[in-house]
Amino acid sequence: MHFLKAITLAALLGTAVVNPALAGKSDDTLRVAFVEEILELDYNYTTKREYIIIADLIDENLFEINPETNAFEPAVATGYEYIDPLTIEVKLRDDVTFHNGQKLTARDVAYTYNWIIDPESESHPGPGHATWLKSAEVVDDYTVRFHLLNDYPLAIRDLATRVSIRPENTYHVDGKVVRNAAALEPVGLGPYRVASFKPGQELVLERYDGYYSNSPKGDVPIENIVIRTIPDIGTQQAELMSGGIDWMYNVPLDVAQSVQGLPMVEHLSGPDLRVSFIVLDAAGYTDPDGPLTNRQVRQAMNHAVNKADIAQYLVGGTAEPIHTPCHPAQFGCDTSIQDYPYDPELGRQMLAEAGYPDGFPLDLWAYRERPMAEAVAADLEKIGIDVNLRYVQLASLDQARANQEIPAYIGTWGSGGTADTALIANIHFNATTDRNLSGDEKLTELVLAAEATSDQDERRRLYTEALTIIADEAYWVPLVTYSVNYLVNSELNFPLNADGLPRLYSASWK
Amino acid sequence: MLKYILQRAALALAVALVVSFATFMLLNYATDPASALAGEDATPEIVEQIRQTYGFDRPVFVRYFEWLGGVARGDFGESYYWNKDVASLVLERAPVTIALALSALMVTIVIAIPLGAIAALRPNSWADRLALTFAVSAQAIPSFWLGLMLIILLGVMIPILPISGDSSWQHFVMPAFVLGASSVPAVMRLTRTGLIEVMESDYIRTARSKGYRGFALLRRHAMRNALLPVVSVLAVQLGQKFGGSVITESVFAINGLGRLALQSILGSDIPTVQMLIFIFALIFVLMNLLADLLNAALDPRIRIT
Repeated sequence: MHFLKAITLAALLGTAVVNPALAGKSDDTLRVAFVEEILELDYNYTTKREYIIIADLIDENLFEINPETNAFEPAVATGYEYIDPLTIEVKLRDDVTFHNGQKLTARDVAYTYNWIIDPESESHPGPGHATWLKSAEVVDDYTVRFHLLNDYPLAIRDLATRVSIRPENTYHVDGKVVRNAAALEPVGLGPYRVASFKPGQELVLERYDGYYSNSPKGDVPIENIVIRTIPDIGTQQAELMSGGIDWMYNVPLDVAQSVQGLPMVEHLSGPDLRVSFIVLDAAGYTDPDGPLTNRQVRQAMNHAVNKADIAQYLVGGTAEPIHTPCHPAQFGCDTSIQDYPYDPELGRQMLAEAGYPDGFPLDLWAYRERPMAEAVAADLEKIGIDVNLRYVQLASLDQARANQEIPAYIGTWGSGGTADTALIANIHFNATTDRNLSGDEKLTELVLAAEATSDQDERRRLYTEALTIIADEAYWVPLVTYSVNYLVNSELNFPLNADGLPRLYSASWK
Repeated sequence: MLKYILQRAALALAVALVVSFATFMLLNYATDPASALAGEDATPEIVEQIRQTYGFDRPVFVRYFEWLGGVARGDFGESYYWNKDVASLVLERAPVTIALALSALMVTIVIAIPLGAIAALRPNSWADRLALTFAVSAQAIPSFWLGLMLIILLGVMIPILPISGDSSWQHFVMPAFVLGASSVPAVMRLTRTGLIEVMESDYIRTARSKGYRGFALLRRHAMRNALLPVVSVLAVQLGQKFGGSVITESVFAINGLGRLALQSILGSDIPTVQMLIFIFALIFVLMNLLADLLNAALDPRIRIT
């Protein structure tokens, strides 16, 4: 009753003076807002981008990928050596400790990888790793051998990403399998340890004093990081302006631009490996004789979309138009392939030559960035295509695509922040994926061949061949690269990286 | 009376069951829970793994009746999205929403009834017109907009209240006002109309002849009868506060049932959505029942037999 009286009084008088928690360098705490709810902290059982950001803070990999050079650098490993094409020996540092003070040994690494690939683990990296990793073996306290099932050129990349190393037997408690044993209080190796966690609400991290020296992440300047879920972007904006938070990301361009002139706020735009594209049903799954099975129609559509304007006005920042079915920064993404410059007149002419002088009706599906979807629809309508924009939830699009009910959709792909064409090619041009609407068996052969060899020149050649086919046949209409907009406290230094992954550990106060 | 209560309770249960069936079917047929859980960049293998882990590959009717069987045993299942027991998840969040809903109702009562009374005392006066203008304006303002305006005013420009979160009572002031304000017009107009009607009755004339005037007349004689319909509306409004919490809790980042409902719907978390809809449906029917019982208690003439 006392509580209700207090609220009533405050509501009536409006004089309740409180001191909202102020962010900033005064208490050396970086306050971060996510739209997404953080429900668990074990990256071995999660996938979304926010979880990658958190895993980067509390976990370590054997190797790190340098975001500027894309080179693999030793992290808790000191290096690797191929004993033979199917055996990789990895040496570990001897001065690395988990957040509970326990020393990292080869047994922890072998346990983690053997658990991850065990189907019983049901871990998220498991299915991917199990395609190439047979087992991990302890050689001595600081040496692990990875036995491969086949030649896999991305093995070191996989050892540099995705698997968070856990202490031995983390997922086996009293002889029983406990898959979510590390969900709430993961014992990691990273520069920050979990101080408290309320799923869906707040995660408090504090700098781990025992973090190993000379790591690729370097010494972390800020003592504490608090990550809160604030679903409404307007509320986040108000919190930033009032000093309640220091950092927000994935900010819509118009929101970012509307506050960028304020003294307490800085607008940053960074690159992102995410690209957008239109996938066309060239195989005719939805209509065997439909217009999209005609190559000239698909080429006309490529000429119709004004990608440069979309990049500049709808995405902004560092966004750029692309003509490749991959991000130009990715290994193997050959940008010398066929380009279709913006030329709606030529598009209209090609459509007429293809037998569609009056255009045709098209269901174009999309699930994010509605303004971009509408701009694309408007451009296609300019050459005569009568677009019915089916803007839906992702799950609905996924379901319709699985049922082969989609003639064309605007897709996006972030490649998990990895700068290698393999990360986008396999998922979109392998015959086993429902995202592949090309029906082109040759493409499947090429993308699989590129993943079956360690010869980087050969991989590059195979990807060039595959990308050339995709461009010549116009299986896609590549659109733009993304740019991530950040709004940050103007007292914060926040370096941006080429791969678009926000690394909160590298932030510092001015 | 007992029979009436039992009938209404049975009705509540029936409504909740029908709604739960419809929800289950809609969530399963309108979307693919496996891909919703997996997220945007999940590979088909991960989606398939989730589908098998949670049994989404089994017939939907079988799963519904399994769920129903669980509910009958008091087991509301495991949340796919939150990876937690649904009942404990809801119990954890419920106090926050109950506090918010009751605070909002207090805001409604404290603003609407005095305003209605002021308007009724002098119908068609400037005070009456001002109160009605306020009511019309309040009705026209969407809750999310009012919320953002308050945040800008009291959180940013004159920073006297925290903007988001639910860790102290101060955090509830703005959301309670936003949620409460939406009910003010209805309750205010009902109070005004009821009072104007009552003020013209014979027993009020008698009271006047005894020398009662102004607020003393209202408080001692008119209010009890005039507020009968208001009580019914307030009970229903309390039910609506739970529904309204979906938007308000999201704007103010409050971790209650409303935000849980929104996130569970977006994440196709069927067990959680099922239980929340079950609870919201029960609250609505029970609030209506409570309204009838309160009216009966306040006015012996309408006792239910």
